[in-house]
Amino acid sequence: MSEAVKRYITFADRVNPLVKILVAVALFLTVILIHDPNHLFHLAVIMFILLLLLSGVKYIYIGLLTGAILFFGFISSLYMIFYGEGTTTIFRFGIIHVTEESAVRGIHIMMRGITLSFFGALIVFTTRITDVFYSLMQQGRLKPKYAYSFMAAVRMVPIIAGEYMALRRARKVRRALIHRKYITGLKGFISAIVTLLSQSIRRAWRLGVAMESKGFDDGPRTYYHRTTYSIHDLHFVLLIVLGVILSAFLGEWFSPFDTVDAR
Amino acid sequence: MAKRKGLTLTDVLITVVIALVFSFIYSIWGGVYTALEPLGLHLNQLLYGMWFIAAVVAYLVIRKPGVALIAEFAAASGETIVMLQFDVMLIVYGLIQGLACEIVFAIVKYESTSLMVAVIAGISAALATFPLDWYYGYLGQLATWNLLLMFGFRVLSGALIAGWLAHLLYRALKETGVLKLVGNGHAAEEGL
Repeated sequence: MSEAVKRYITFADRVNPLVKILVAVALFLTVILIHDPNHLFHLAVIMFILLLLLSGVKYIYIGLLTGAILFFGFISSLYMIFYGEGTTTIFRFGIIHVTEESAVRGIHIMMRGITLSFFGALIVFTTRITDVFYSLMQQGRLKPKYAYSFMAAVRMVPIIAGEYMALRRARKVRRALIHRKYITGLKGFISAIVTLLSQSIRRAWRLGVAMESKGFDDGPRTYYHRTTYSIHDLHFVLLIVLGVILSAFLGEWFSPFDTVDAR
Repeated sequence: MAKRKGLTLTDVLITVVIALVFSFIYSIWGGVYTALEPLGLHLNQLLYGMWFIAAVVAYLVIRKPGVALIAEFAAASGETIVMLQFDVMLIVYGLIQGLACEIVFAIVKYESTSLMVAVIAGISAALATFPLDWYYGYLGQLATWNLLLMFGFRVLSGALIAGWLAHLLYRALKETGVLKLVGNGHAAEEGL
């Protein structure tokens, strides 16, 4: 993550990336198994607090991100709020039928999303992307050819973005000369993608051949950058497990929702 | 270049780069997708097929085992890189969609580039997401007409975007001649 948004470093920055990913997967499975909206509400709040404290990112960025996460989370739960089944009608307009049950269920789905997004943001803010691949190679026994092709490809992202901007500008300049259908609509879409893809494939091929001849293939490697497991990993796992347990207790004690099962 | 059966570093690199190009499109697509969501009528599902187009295009280009899975994983994690938002859910969905495509391609022994194979892969990827959605999004509790609408739109979108459009892109790419470089050099034998 870029240094510009950081204010301070926390122990979360030192946790092994592989451990963070495994915890993220475990959290995903946990969240899917939680059907009590009160429980999930507190888990979402705890994840937000962890993001606030552990990411070390300037609050303005966390604020903007939180706004986006809440907004998109809400929108993506509307299908359930509007069309879900239920008996206690709150509002009906045409085909839209909001019931108490479907509203709670919709909010529950939204909280699932934001819980995972807050945790995901914490990982993004505290992990360097290259460390993820080093960790996958060194602790996860991933073959170097996969890790190095991912790392090389990541470096191409800005180039692809730049190429897309250049393509847009070129089209703008030549707009009078080419037929409209090559700029807008399906034809335009396809010609844009094919341009980007063919350029990228050529570049990837050149780089791939060069990397293969330099021995970035399989076989044993030594590393300048080392990632290891540490005591921070244990702290991190315990913290998240405690968070899940604590949220269950808090859900019993302070219940903003009437029901204990959103299904 | 010596012909090798398994995936070489170059194959993987090309697959990942194809996926990253698509993850840009995914990011833009995400905006349109979200814009259609409040309508609730699942019009956004008509766009759903775009989420697994990377797997089909990468397979058509390289045609080796594992390519579809890597492409879908890379495209999903590419969204993390482009949007700076890490979403486990996205990656889990990506892996499931890639796996569904991979199974279809394994059945045709990674040889066919016909439109039909692309369409079937698109449909199977669309179907593969349902069990997870069913559980995650409580689809069982949705009004039946609404559920059928969602289901129909998504399968249609898988066939049209991930199948037909992916094949269209593949044919256009073939015309550029860039595929001569890729994979086992099979494109050269196809008279390019």
